[in-house]
Amino acid sequence: MIVEYVWLVPLIPILCFVLVGFFGNHMHQGGGYLSIAGAAASFIISIAVSVEFWTSAAYTDPGYVTNSITWFSLGGHDVNLGYYVDSLACLVMLFASFISMLIFIYSLGYMGDQGGRKRRYFAEVSLFLTGMLGLAASSNMIEMFVFWELMGLCSYLLIGFWSFNHPEGDAKAINAASAAKKAFLVTRAGDVCLMGGMFVLFQAMGSLDYTVIFNTANLNAANPDTLFLASLLIFGGAIGKSAQFPLMDWLPDAMAGPTTVSALIHAATMVKAGVYLVARCFPLFVMNIDVMLFVGVIGGVTAFFAATMAMNNMNIKKVLAYSTLSQLGYMFLSLGAGGYLMALGMQSGDTALMAAGALGYTAGILHMANHAFFKGLLFLCSGSVIHSCGTEDMRLMGGLGKKMKITSITMLIGSLSIAGFPFFAGFWSKDLVLETALDAAGNGACGWIFLLLWFLGVVTAFMTAFYMFRLWYMTFAGEPRENAQKSHGESPHSMTIPLCVLSCFAFAFGFVLLFGFDGLFTIGLNADGLWQVGGVAGAGAVHYFLELFTNPYTYLTIILVLGAIFLAYLMYCKKTVDPGKFNKHGQAWLYKACASRWWLPEIYNQVSWKLGYGVAKCVDFFDRQVIDGTVNGLSNAVIGGGELARKAQDGNAHTYAGVVIGGAVALFAVALILFVVYGGI
Amino acid sequence: MIPIEYFLTFGAILFAIGAYGVLTKPNAIVVLMCIELMLNAANINFVAFAAYTSDPIGQVMVLMTISVAAAEVAVGIAVVLNSYKMKKTTDVNGLTSMRW
Repeated sequence: MIVEYVWLVPLIPILCFVLVGFFGNHMHQGGGYLSIAGAAASFIISIAVSVEFWTSAAYTDPGYVTNSITWFSLGGHDVNLGYYVDSLACLVMLFASFISMLIFIYSLGYMGDQGGRKRRYFAEVSLFLTGMLGLAASSNMIEMFVFWELMGLCSYLLIGFWSFNHPEGDAKAINAASAAKKAFLVTRAGDVCLMGGMFVLFQAMGSLDYTVIFNTANLNAANPDTLFLASLLIFGGAIGKSAQFPLMDWLPDAMAGPTTVSALIHAATMVKAGVYLVARCFPLFVMNIDVMLFVGVIGGVTAFFAATMAMNNMNIKKVLAYSTLSQLGYMFLSLGAGGYLMALGMQSGDTALMAAGALGYTAGILHMANHAFFKGLLFLCSGSVIHSCGTEDMRLMGGLGKKMKITSITMLIGSLSIAGFPFFAGFWSKDLVLETALDAAGNGACGWIFLLLWFLGVVTAFMTAFYMFRLWYMTFAGEPRENAQKSHGESPHSMTIPLCVLSCFAFAFGFVLLFGFDGLFTIGLNADGLWQVGGVAGAGAVHYFLELFTNPYTYLTIILVLGAIFLAYLMYCKKTVDPGKFNKHGQAWLYKACASRWWLPEIYNQVSWKLGYGVAKCVDFFDRQVIDGTVNGLSNAVIGGGELARKAQDGNAHTYAGVVIGGAVALFAVALILFVVYGGI
Repeated sequence: MIPIEYFLTFGAILFAIGAYGVLTKPNAIVVLMCIELMLNAANINFVAFAAYTSDPIGQVMVLMTISVAAAEVAVGIAVVLNSYKMKKTTDVNGLTSMRW
């Protein structure tokens, strides 16, 4: 059984981290080859584990393979350390290790000029990969939380990679340092929620093992209000990690790190952890329909607002960062809408609704995997462009298509995929997401909310296509501007080969839906009434072709996407439509709102100054006055008591003698009284 | 035979006189003498009980006390002599430098 060796998957990268960290300077490429080998080994083991899991009996019967040892015990409760392999964990391990491997290969070229700092870079990315793989393979929430925090640490280190000796000067270095701090602190807000959620869940369930907390009988037996609170708090953790509204603002700032790190954070690790968490806790979240409604609302709102911010940004990486937020919003919208339908179906016993809900889950997972491929591709392409032009400002690019053929074509594939162009990967998952949202709109008392969210989702699809092609045309088409003229052509092979591999997946990965993906990654109650991921046969290609292409709304989104691409073409390639007309040359209210990220950074600053600093001052006051005051008061009391007591020692022999004799007399008097009271000895 | 109460009363009176002297007399030498009185009051009690119970251990104790008292007086006088050399006084109220 290879599945039993799944613990090797996170272990190998962390060994690479140790080896590269200590000996990287004595290796070729600062230990880069070892990191790649580690990621490749993890990927190969992941494949072996996944294949064996999906072909074994455990896949259909309990739906998971788990084993654990006791890590430590607290008050009669065991905290375990183990693995839990199911379809979801397999998928996350597969794409995380595969994409990380490609990103590491790409880093050989991209970070090639970094000299001695490559050791630090490759050590940290290996540790980052460990975080994601360990998160996927964990068997309980505490273990998962350890890896979750490990990723938080690595993102801090890597976003701040250039926080000293930045190649472009000190201002950028300070920017990188503050971006790293922001990422760490904002995700921390979510992590505190998650930790609180874990405590509440532990209180309700008495354990944090997946097998216990996702057991239907235990879920039904627990106090619903406690579960509601736990679900909301756990989702708070996902909001922080996956940068959803209102904790979304750290991700655009995180672009201060190297582009490869952005690709790693956005495609393979970190932000996917939040989606994974919600998908993992799906059985818990569906216990309360309002939680799922909340998940959907947060997802839909984030999808829309993040897309508006991407519309007029001039920084190639920031546009991609906003699009990540937006796509993550789609995933949460899908999971939320699916969960809403699932919860409705469970209440009324309607299996059709539950099947529709399971489709939402599948759509969210598929979009997560698709997004990993196309966003990894897009970031690596933008890295290739930045490497060649030495700038991130799209106004200084243009006309690069002739100089960088491979990059421009692969980026075109990525853009088509994320825009949802028919038959590209993003098309399948995005349409399923919107279909689920629309499905949810027709059911239940809160259906109208999902109708709004569906509308936001459709508008977002239009905006996505527009800003992606705006980016593509501004970068690769038209006249070469300043930096584009100085560009030194196509990037080295170590960078272009990962692009080609990823572009194949970004184009074709959506087709897995037609070949049984939905059977592997659906969720439902099995014959024993327990939650199970996968384990049923897929609906097949014909079903999805019929479902998507007989649905008028599919054509609506296709038309919108094509229209958006055409509009971007007119504005930024042929230049027959002047974008300045729409935004009054940058003076329109909406344009300013988008450019200043809907004032979120200001709100953050206000909140942190007014609230955070205020709280900090209160805490400081409490610490200085109350805690220090108690300690100082005690010591002052002792000193004062000593001062008073020492006056008794006046050095006069008469006083001492008097005290001695007085004491003797007093003792005698007491003895006499006792003698009289007890009437003898 | 003289009753034991007489001895005990005599011892108690002697002790009280000694204690009074220790507490009231300013002269260090007089204080030392009063301490001797208190010591001897205890000795009288020892001897009286030894005689009345026919137990010689009390008399042995008294002999030991007398020898220890002799040593103690030697030390006490030496202390008083030295303090007189330093302070030019034997008044115990003036010898209060051993304090806070």
